[in-house]
Amino acid sequence: MANKSVWSDNRFWQRSATWVTGFASLLLIWLTLDTSAQIQMGTDADLKNGVQKRVPGPTVINYKITYEMSAKRGHEVPVIGEKEKFFGRDDYSEEEAGALLHLGKLGSQAKNCMDCHTLLGNGAYYAPDLTKAWLDPAWGPDGAMQALTGKNTKEEAMAEFLQHPDQYATHARMMPNLGITAEEAKGLVAFLKHMSSIDTNGFPRNFGRMQGAVNGK
Amino acid sequence: MFEPFTDVVPSFFGMLNQGPLTLTIFLHSVIVLPMVWIYFQEKKRLENEN
Repeated sequence: MANKSVWSDNRFWQRSATWVTGFASLLLIWLTLDTSAQIQMGTDADLKNGVQKRVPGPTVINYKITYEMSAKRGHEVPVIGEKEKFFGRDDYSEEEAGALLHLGKLGSQAKNCMDCHTLLGNGAYYAPDLTKAWLDPAWGPDGAMQALTGKNTKEEAMAEFLQHPDQYATHARMMPNLGITAEEAKGLVAFLKHMSSIDTNGFPRNFGRMQGAVNGK
Repeated sequence: MFEPFTDVVPSFFGMLNQGPLTLTIFLHSVIVLPMVWIYFQEKKRLENEN
């Protein structure tokens, strides 16, 4: 057959399809491995040596976390600063902190936080996103929640609220009492504190900052 | 055109994603250019068959 066009040639399409499918498959596998490396949790040693990780180790609950504008990256980033007491202690070991986070994670699943809230952008849109809830000024020294719950620290105020959310009407969409125990509440607050230290490339954008907290101090 | 690398954890894809559309342009090039090569190979084969 004279002058058969390549475009109507079966082999051209077969080879193209093989190439595109094969390349895309390899690319997806590579991206999966790349992502796994990116979201690998850091260790206590990383925190002590100032090694930055997207997901810091569990002992990050021993440190003060602030959320600051990074001119270089063009969005806000969590900054892990100096030591800060969490429920009266700043010397949680990797195992203790890990166990606390684990309890909080299981608690968040058991009480189904995502039924109303979003965590790291996943979940429902009925209640506020909890990704940076730990950094919400409402819980800070100038916020209303410490006075409302009669507690002197952010973590105690949060734990108190979580145990009796129905007693503190903060919003038209009031949080129901989910029967969270004191220990579970402590785990949940640790879980929230750790989550706020995760580098989410600036998500959520334009999140309100704690007043006066700069450079992790 | 070339921005300083700002990702927390350096990676190959992070490097390619430091400007608007840079990753997209790279991946499309990698997919389309071999197709151009396949096109000319097949064209040559068809001509030889005639």
